[in-house]
Amino acid sequence: MKTIGGIGLFRIKHRKNSSKQLESSDLHLSDEHNSELSMELALNEKLLSEKFQASSDIIFRPISSSPKVLLIYVDGLIDTKTLDQVVIMPILYDGASNGRDQVPVSRHVIEEQLIAVAQVQTGLTINDAVNGILKGNVLLLVDGENKAIIAELKGFEARTVEEPAAEVSIRGPRDGFTETLRVNTSLIRRRIRSPKLKMESTTVGQVSQTDIVIAYIEGIVSNTVLEEVRNRIGQIRIDGVLESGYVEEFIEDVPWSPFPQIQNTERPDIVSASLLEGKVAILVDNTPFVLIVPMTFWTGLQAVEDYYERSIYTTFVRFVRFSLFNIALLLPSMYVALSTFHQQLIPTNLLISIANSREGVPFPTFVETLLMEFMFEGLREAGIRMPKAVGSAVSIVGALVIGQAAVQAGIVSAPVVIVVATTGIASFAIPRYNFGTAYRLLRFPMLFLAGILGLYGIISGLFLMIIHLLRLQSFGVPYMNPVVPLGQNLKDVFIRAPRWSMNMRPEFSGPNKKRIPEGQQPSSKRGGQSND
Amino acid sequence: MIKKWYSRGFILFFLFLSGCWDSSEINEMAIELAWGIDKASDKKVMISAQAIIPSKLGGGQNNGASGGSNGKPFFVATGNGMNTLDAVQRMQTKLSRQVFRGHRRVIVIGEAMARQGIKEVFDTYTRDPNLKLRTDIFVVKGDTAKNFLQVSYPLENIPGLGASGEFTQMGSPAEMGMLNFLLSATSAGASPTLPAIAIATNSSLQNEEDQDDRPKSGREGFRIDGSAVFNKDLKLEGYLNLKEDQAVRWVMGNLKELTVTATVPDEKGNVSMNVYKVSSKIQPVLQSDKLRIYITLAGQGAIRENNTRLDLTRTENVKLLQSALNKDAEERVRQTIAKVQQNYGADIFGFSDVIRRKNLPLWKSVKNNWEEEFREAEISVTAKIKVRRIGVTGPSLHLNPHETEK
Repeated sequence: MKTIGGIGLFRIKHRKNSSKQLESSDLHLSDEHNSELSMELALNEKLLSEKFQASSDIIFRPISSSPKVLLIYVDGLIDTKTLDQVVIMPILYDGASNGRDQVPVSRHVIEEQLIAVAQVQTGLTINDAVNGILKGNVLLLVDGENKAIIAELKGFEARTVEEPAAEVSIRGPRDGFTETLRVNTSLIRRRIRSPKLKMESTTVGQVSQTDIVIAYIEGIVSNTVLEEVRNRIGQIRIDGVLESGYVEEFIEDVPWSPFPQIQNTERPDIVSASLLEGKVAILVDNTPFVLIVPMTFWTGLQAVEDYYERSIYTTFVRFVRFSLFNIALLLPSMYVALSTFHQQLIPTNLLISIANSREGVPFPTFVETLLMEFMFEGLREAGIRMPKAVGSAVSIVGALVIGQAAVQAGIVSAPVVIVVATTGIASFAIPRYNFGTAYRLLRFPMLFLAGILGLYGIISGLFLMIIHLLRLQSFGVPYMNPVVPLGQNLKDVFIRAPRWSMNMRPEFSGPNKKRIPEGQQPSSKRGGQSND
Repeated sequence: MIKKWYSRGFILFFLFLSGCWDSSEINEMAIELAWGIDKASDKKVMISAQAIIPSKLGGGQNNGASGGSNGKPFFVATGNGMNTLDAVQRMQTKLSRQVFRGHRRVIVIGEAMARQGIKEVFDTYTRDPNLKLRTDIFVVKGDTAKNFLQVSYPLENIPGLGASGEFTQMGSPAEMGMLNFLLSATSAGASPTLPAIAIATNSSLQNEEDQDDRPKSGREGFRIDGSAVFNKDLKLEGYLNLKEDQAVRWVMGNLKELTVTATVPDEKGNVSMNVYKVSSKIQPVLQSDKLRIYITLAGQGAIRENNTRLDLTRTENVKLLQSALNKDAEERVRQTIAKVQQNYGADIFGFSDVIRRKNLPLWKSVKNNWEEEFREAEISVTAKIKVRRIGVTGPSLHLNPHETEK
């Protein structure tokens, strides 16, 4: 590994593939009695009821047909109306009355002839049975059989598909992911109707047993990235996964970096577009946030609408965004550095205005700016957490107290308020929320450096940041790709080229890089397409 | 691992060794925008600084009751000393805030100081890294720099900015005064000039129009009044008036635009023209052991005032005006050069640099006796002003059609 300056400063330790397998903890409950199901229904029932001791939501429903049948399910996860109609009623009535008396009602008969359920599995062990029940299936145990029927009759309450709150767009589809994994996969499948779209399932979390789907498009995805994702997810040992953030923290490359190396989104269109670019999506059950890897620096500055609006406008917006994100990082520290160290660099008239408004302000500029930045972060945090009804009160208090009263009282100078407000607006112009947090965070070290060392400090800080960014990788892909190392495909970085000219997939995609054929530039000539 | 953290800590430690520890808050500085150098007794210099009083300047949050009426938004602090920095030390004893010189826009030199010569005091203005070269320098005609700095100026809050603004309005490149001065001071043959500025109510130098509309009581405002000619020892030799100053700068190519006015003798009227794209060409030749310098003045412009009866839609009339303007410009420049040659003998036009650039052998032959050669040189001036536009009318609109001359 190359080192910088021969010292090895800022070396990023890359994940070792052969990390030692963690010992299975005692949390893994299923291990204790992984016995096979017995032929006797009573024995099975006893074993299972011991497992589900003190679990009021597990329903045991015996049916006294011949032979006896026992239904076990979790109340609330099952569509009980359907259960009545397609399972209980056929067994209760049809089993006897349809002249099947001579044929003994066996497991086969129930599975193949009586219950009208699309997905039916067979469970051999107690573990299978327990997992089947907990995943929202109905378990059917038949007396005299050592195999259980696991019938899928999921029907729990779930949020419907709604517009994602965190990623709003003017133009573009309005559906967002929900907390249900299968709804989420279906939203992607509806957009990419190809057998090449693969969705590998796995379970993570010894206690929570959370389903995780790794989605990718075969032939487009880079196999090294895919293999890396499988490996890293396979190595997670955790008791429970409640949000995709749990997974993210286990699989990211550099945990201490302020920059997110994994993108998350609530929008199925972003996921589908990423899959088409050769990225891998990681869907976690019970959360609408889907992880996308690898992430590059530039994805942090791309909004979904960039691809729906016309390219000319998007290119302009990107330049606005680039400047705003520099402002978000540097404006407060620049103000402090210029006004306390390098007053020569401020235009004379501006300096006079600043000098005028600083008269009588009790704090040094650095403290003043830090104070206001801190207050702004507080306002922002309070605004998010507050109930909606109180939220407006926060903004009024913030605007009045900080914006006006503090200035009029002469505690804070007006330029600092302007600087902090501009910075705040600029930091919200960064499209990816988790990417924006990196800048919000880095603003403070920059401010300290500027307060201590002036422009020299800002430059040093920028150098450290750039060195870090250049060494950063996301799943083996350089974070600054394709700018560093410089690649051929720069049509979607600083500008957004028209769709018909983006012929190639990003460099980190798989072997099949050609995306669309060339020469599709439309024109007013006959046929609508030019030949060149 | 520990080694790595040591190395990181080591590097971070260096961050604090270097860097600028000279942090100072804006409200702990006396921001000084204009600066005066005067002669003091005992071979000392007197330094005056015009510093702003931020709380008295409008526009900020502190305006309102305290703004405006409570007095001038600036004050002048002075100090005497052996040299500039010594004087600044003395001046600092009268100021509660650190003098901040990074925003100096204007340096004025008192006439007495200028006559004594500024070679001995000028080093600090180029040595100090906090000072900028983009500064205008003026010589206060007939007064001291201190007096000049105390004069208030009606248009600008800070009078120093007014001086700089007036200079820019003269068609000179903005804030190039210091640089141009240094360039010609260091050149082998050329002598520097500086714009001269005069306090408006100084009666001995007053123009007629100033007497009419200004109250005698207050000394308010100032005006650019030609330029001051220095010799090679950077001592003031004398002044040129406004017209001569413009001619000098035209020859030097140091003019962005100017207005030329000429009488048209045959037509009993006069004409004014805005000239832009002003340029000049200097061609030195040695003819029968005599140095001849051919100067071609060029410029393009628009007629802005035509007090003759000529109808300017006709080409021959425009040609007539053009030749009148050219003749006037030629005459003006020729007289100026003659005056400089006779009175000062200082090559303020930078002919020496042109000769050295264009004809090095010639320069080597004249260099040792350049002042004499300059006095003796024969100058011929050709002006080639072109009228590009005539304005929106042909003949003057207030004239009856039969009054105009086709």
